[in-house]
Amino acid sequence: MREIIRAENVRKTFTLSRKQRKLEKNPSGRKVALGGLSFTAYEGEIYGLLGPNGAGKTTMLRILATLIRADEGDAFVNGHSVAREADKVRSSIGFLTSELKLEDFFTPDYLIGFFGRLHGMREDVLAARKAELFSRFGIGEFAEVKVGDLSTGMKQKVSIAVSILHDPPVIIFDEPTNGLDVLTAKTVTDFLLEEKARGKSIVLSTHIFSLVEKLCDRVGVIIGGRMAAEGTLAEVSGTKPLEDAFFDLYAEAVRE
Amino acid sequence: MKNILTVVKKEFARFFRDRRLVIGTLLLPAVLIFALYSLLGSVFYEEDEHYTARVVHPSALFAALAGAAQGAEGEAGEEAAPLFALQEAAEADIPAAKEAVLAGECDLLIVFPENFDALLAGGVLPAPAAEASSALSAPATGAAPGAAETPASETPASETPASETPAAPNVEIWYDSGSSSSVAAYNAAYSLLDGLEDSLSGLFDVNMSAGGSLVSQAEAEASYYAMLLPFLILTFLYSGCMGLAPESVAGEKERGTIATLLVTPIRRGELVVGKIVSLAALSTLSAVSSFVGTFLAMPQMMGGSIGQTIAAYSVWEYLALFAVMVSAVLLIVTLISMVSSYARSVKEATSLAVPLMVVVMLVGISTMLFTVPSAAHAVFLIPLYNCVQVMAEIFSLRFSPVNLLITLASNLVYIALLVWLLTKMFQSERVIFNR
Repeated sequence: MREIIRAENVRKTFTLSRKQRKLEKNPSGRKVALGGLSFTAYEGEIYGLLGPNGAGKTTMLRILATLIRADEGDAFVNGHSVAREADKVRSSIGFLTSELKLEDFFTPDYLIGFFGRLHGMREDVLAARKAELFSRFGIGEFAEVKVGDLSTGMKQKVSIAVSILHDPPVIIFDEPTNGLDVLTAKTVTDFLLEEKARGKSIVLSTHIFSLVEKLCDRVGVIIGGRMAAEGTLAEVSGTKPLEDAFFDLYAEAVRE
Repeated sequence: MKNILTVVKKEFARFFRDRRLVIGTLLLPAVLIFALYSLLGSVFYEEDEHYTARVVHPSALFAALAGAAQGAEGEAGEEAAPLFALQEAAEADIPAAKEAVLAGECDLLIVFPENFDALLAGGVLPAPAAEASSALSAPATGAAPGAAETPASETPASETPASETPAAPNVEIWYDSGSSSSVAAYNAAYSLLDGLEDSLSGLFDVNMSAGGSLVSQAEAEASYYAMLLPFLILTFLYSGCMGLAPESVAGEKERGTIATLLVTPIRRGELVVGKIVSLAALSTLSAVSSFVGTFLAMPQMMGGSIGQTIAAYSVWEYLALFAVMVSAVLLIVTLISMVSSYARSVKEATSLAVPLMVVVMLVGISTMLFTVPSAAHAVFLIPLYNCVQVMAEIFSLRFSPVNLLITLASNLVYIALLVWLLTKMFQSERVIFNR
């Protein structure tokens, strides 16, 4: 199978603000988010990064999306280095995270057009893609309503549509069902399975075991910025439920 | 280039689709400034001056001068209102008349010597030199409430030494220095009587038929514009930028919408240039709106006509002015964008931009303090200061194309440097994600 994402010994340390130092009781002012993380995701699979809050999942995904740079190591997306070929990486991915917001003032219709042009899409291709996504997520009903007036679920649908507008081969979603009602969460999971069926490669981060069990072909368990285990669900959890296997891994990591 | 245009269009859409923003930024400044300055002008240049004076031993000469005797013919054949309404009073009424001045019932009390007109006609006047210093007597302290009621230079004729030239007839003018109307009436009456005295002395005149200011009326007005307008324009430009740039840069950071842009294939330099160009264009529109309001109101402030003021400058001067404004706005908007990209919120950006505003204001008032010689080309390399000085040159009709070129070229270099720095800031995760 072709490697679609490969992270090689990625390290990232953040400098904390004074406020964060006090809150986290960290006088050194430095926090290691990733301590040499490596993993590989293959074409056409859904790869899950599983870990508790603060494990480094979001930091790894932000590095893959070229929003931030690794201090050491490198990662490759669709064969392009995130450090050296950021433009090509960004064209290859559809990235969604809770920190990415849409401007409240604009309508979904305007935003789809705006981001489509930034992705260099031709107007006829953009119009066809817009119609397809509006139909798929039911956006047509509120296409002319300002984003600021939409519900959380509607906003999430628009965010997903914006992120995959250019039909990228790789989809990277960070906690995609967080804060959503069950109906919208189902729309998201169904969408990811459909994209997988269309041959897309997907990496998602989550701390929800049921989501991993439902969607992921392979999983990487991150604890404290390091890869604690990686493989298929069966390889990681063995005979135990995934949740129990995770707690065993967590206890082991804490002991170390 | 395509991405830059896309960002510019989006920023324009953000602005022009918001009716309140358009009205508040483009329409209101012009209307409010025009209305305010016109109102101020109409107050300053109020022609409707009418004063009431009580006169003891009235003088027909003075009455004629003040237009009070018959009322002068107006230009359109209408009877003009007299400058002074004169009410005759007896010598015994002087204390009551002074009370009336203090009470605001009349503006002045003028006490002429008895037979004043006859004294002037009979040629009993003293030597002009002596007369000049004592012909008129104005109370030093006026007649403010509680003030002494004796004219400072009042000298009774009986006290004049017999060996000296007879004392000149003394006209006493009593007024209330605490009342602007009374002070204005005093100045008007003093001026009329002073002019009368000058015309009677006949020794020499100053600038009666030739001489005077070496510049034309238009140039004199232009120098006034040159002193005031560069400061106002720079202030308008800064205000326009401050109304838009922090919201567009720090606001996008604060709301998390900038990260959504950064995961698209757009280069950070393209994003920076797109934002700077759109913000500069919108700020220029805002400044032009304020400038038009000011420019149209200026004649009202100075008692001229709008047509004359507009015609005072050529098309080239207007184009040069526009070029300087664009160069200034690009500099300002880039500086504010840098401050805004460093800030975590719009509020913080606005606070951080205060020192910059102080610098811009200080640079703006420089034309009121001194003028740079046109030959001092090196001065035109100083950013922002060069814009103010070139604008002053344009408005004063002494515009040097060399200085304009130096200003535009040097500012272009500074803007390119600042855009490069801003792009570096946008590439720094510590700057862009320090929310």
